[in-house]
Amino acid sequence: MKDHSNRRTRLRWARLLAIVLAFGLIAAACGSDDDGDAEEAPAATEAMADESMDDSMADESMDDSMDDESMDDSMDDDMSDDMMDLSGTKVTVFGPESSDEEAGALRDALDHFAAQTGIEVSYTGARDAADQINAQAAGGNPPDIFIFPQPGKLADFARDGHLIALPDDVIAAMNEHWTPAWTAFGDVDGTQYGIPNKSDLKSLVWYKPALFESKGYSVPGTWDELKALSAEMIANGDTPFCIGIESGPATGWTFTDWVEDLMLRFHTPAEYDAWVAGELAFSSAEVSGVFTEVLDLWNTPGMVFAAGGSIAATPFGDNGQPLVDNDCMMHRQASFYAAFIPEGTAFADGSADAVDTFYFPSVKGDQPVLGAGTLVGAFRDAPEVWEVMKYFASSEYAEVRQQAQTERKGGGLSGFLSAATNQDPSVYQPLEQSFLDILQNADVVRFDGSDLMPAEVGAGTFWTEGTAVVNGDKSVAEATQAIDDSWPQ
Amino acid sequence: MSSAAETAAAEKAPGPAGSGSAQRGRRGPDRVGRAVYRFLRSIPAWVLWLMVIVWSVPTGSLFLNSFRHRDDQRASGWWTSFTEGNWTLENYADVLSSGEQTGGLWQALLNSFAIAIPATIIPIAIAALAAYAFAWIPFRGREWLFIGTVSLLALPNQVALLPLLQMFAGGAHWTLPGTEIVVTLFPDFSLAGTATAVWLTHTAFALPFAIFLLHNYISTLPGELFEAARIDGADHFTIFWRIVVPLSVPALAAFAIFQFLWTWNDYLIALTMLGAAGENYPATIKIASMAGEFGLREHLLSAGAFVQAGVPMLVFFFLQRFFVRGLLAGSVKS
Repeated sequence: MKDHSNRRTRLRWARLLAIVLAFGLIAAACGSDDDGDAEEAPAATEAMADESMDDSMADESMDDSMDDESMDDSMDDDMSDDMMDLSGTKVTVFGPESSDEEAGALRDALDHFAAQTGIEVSYTGARDAADQINAQAAGGNPPDIFIFPQPGKLADFARDGHLIALPDDVIAAMNEHWTPAWTAFGDVDGTQYGIPNKSDLKSLVWYKPALFESKGYSVPGTWDELKALSAEMIANGDTPFCIGIESGPATGWTFTDWVEDLMLRFHTPAEYDAWVAGELAFSSAEVSGVFTEVLDLWNTPGMVFAAGGSIAATPFGDNGQPLVDNDCMMHRQASFYAAFIPEGTAFADGSADAVDTFYFPSVKGDQPVLGAGTLVGAFRDAPEVWEVMKYFASSEYAEVRQQAQTERKGGGLSGFLSAATNQDPSVYQPLEQSFLDILQNADVVRFDGSDLMPAEVGAGTFWTEGTAVVNGDKSVAEATQAIDDSWPQ
Repeated sequence: MSSAAETAAAEKAPGPAGSGSAQRGRRGPDRVGRAVYRFLRSIPAWVLWLMVIVWSVPTGSLFLNSFRHRDDQRASGWWTSFTEGNWTLENYADVLSSGEQTGGLWQALLNSFAIAIPATIIPIAIAALAAYAFAWIPFRGREWLFIGTVSLLALPNQVALLPLLQMFAGGAHWTLPGTEIVVTLFPDFSLAGTATAVWLTHTAFALPFAIFLLHNYISTLPGELFEAARIDGADHFTIFWRIVVPLSVPALAAFAIFQFLWTWNDYLIALTMLGAAGENYPATIKIASMAGEFGLREHLLSAGAFVQAGVPMLVFFFLQRFFVRGLLAGSVKS
């Protein structure tokens, strides 16, 4: 009896041991997945870090890519010798672009690069990447390259010592394709950390040219003409603007875009910069004057069609349908808004229902442009990382990505835009080419101010207090004072 | 849930109704009384029905929206779909076929299983043993150890995420004070970015609650059973395996259900531990990311939510019998 139960117990223990062992093996198998690569890769690449090879190769590749129509084939031959050394190395890129079209096209562009160089580049997009990068950097698990949605965030990481300053050869490669107006967004206290990756154009008004023509309206060239046109529309029984600023927790950002656009128009770029830096208060005559200008326009009877009943209750994405339905004549929104206009709408092709854009008119006759976009910054100092960064800076990247994204969108507007110079314009649709013209011919480019301000203001009170004045819950004086009070000291 | 409550209400009803029919003597007032009684008796059922409807409206509308085109979703409310029709399976097709380069949603669902299954089984295995020890093995400091374990319940997992990530990414090392000696408390297994890191974290945070719940159950088992078993020569492991586990099936099943749901629906821990390792993302992160920048493709989220919810629902429908049998097995003494 005793023996029997002992044997049975031993059997049980053996079984338990087997289960524990099995789990241990599974854990080990999962854990060791990228064990080897992670440790070997840096060692291998550091041994090969050869600066001279680095420089010459990159410059060649940029030049080649620009001249060649068919980039895919021609590059392989002359590149392969130089690049042999880096093939097999791995670079991880992380960023907030996560939908199938955006992330897919980004991966296509990186695959194109990988095919030429042998560097394996993996891109991961997650919706909360911009929040998650803080945890990853603090937790000691940052990606090699991160796509920053705002210059302010890039500056934070650069000042905290997480980002690596760009080496000279990468800066040189970037300067070949980007104007100082754009590269300035990646400059932190005089050191270049970021490379522009994508550009959005915000100073745009969407409208239907054929409808304007049939009603006898003409595209306004100045702010006063825009106001006169609006008055004329109201007199004719048309509603000039579709406006809705609801966007979940980010409700109010559309209002901030209007304020920023008009700040650039009524005041000088220097004053805009001072405002963004916190030196010009919201409650100053300049800024509160612009608040009042926007609100006076919006509050004019008959001026606004809000599909959701009120401006603050209408989702910003719901303004495309009423524009197509002729419930309003115009909608001021960025270049990416094409994606929110109902499927099947034609863009700038001259047909009766086609939707087009005009430049949000200036006040003083200059051509300031409000832009936005993403920047890439590097967390690891290795030759293969800098090769990928150079590729991000190139017009080749913009072209390949644009082509891939257009294809993925079924031939419509891609939603991607790059202000890189030297791009082949034929990869863009006619409407997108007009965006490029505005971007590249702008005298003054300023980044979306709320993205540059401290998060407490730019992603906080500027939105919430802005929404409060739009709702009429607060006066301009009260709201601007509240925003000033929230500015971190 | 609600249907179970309803049947419970329906079963309760016959008792008082039977006693009412026993006093049939006084006819007139009795009929009125019975009508009033029947009316009053029906109120709980109606209240329950009302609650069922109110609670299902958000889910129901989401379900309807998942079959509507993007522009319809943007232009009008879900209730208009009854009259307008215009249903489509496009959203589901888009959701299921999305992200083909990274293995798509199917890969993400597999990843979810790879996280949720170990994160359910391992804490149960450990916690059941620990709970038995805390309840039935007398040893020194047992009470304090138990109090210490349970008080870990008050620790919010968010505060430990970054230290854990640091530990997974680079190991944990401690330089002995005053010396150059470095003690490695946790070796660098390069776990950051792997599913292992995710379920290890889930396991760690599940243990205090699991031990607490199972201890409460196991400590109520009749001690005579264990005495009898010990007289028959059983040791602790035999008692645990032969007596405690079969008797604890209801508690084990209840905890398994919740733990599976929590880990299946987890977003934060997985995203933090995986970082840029997108090939290991579970379905929650993949689906949330489908919305894209500015919520361009938010219309896919409703369909994605039902794909995400479908797996636990299937698990329950297929395993319901076992859960119910488990519950009964614990309640009947022989």
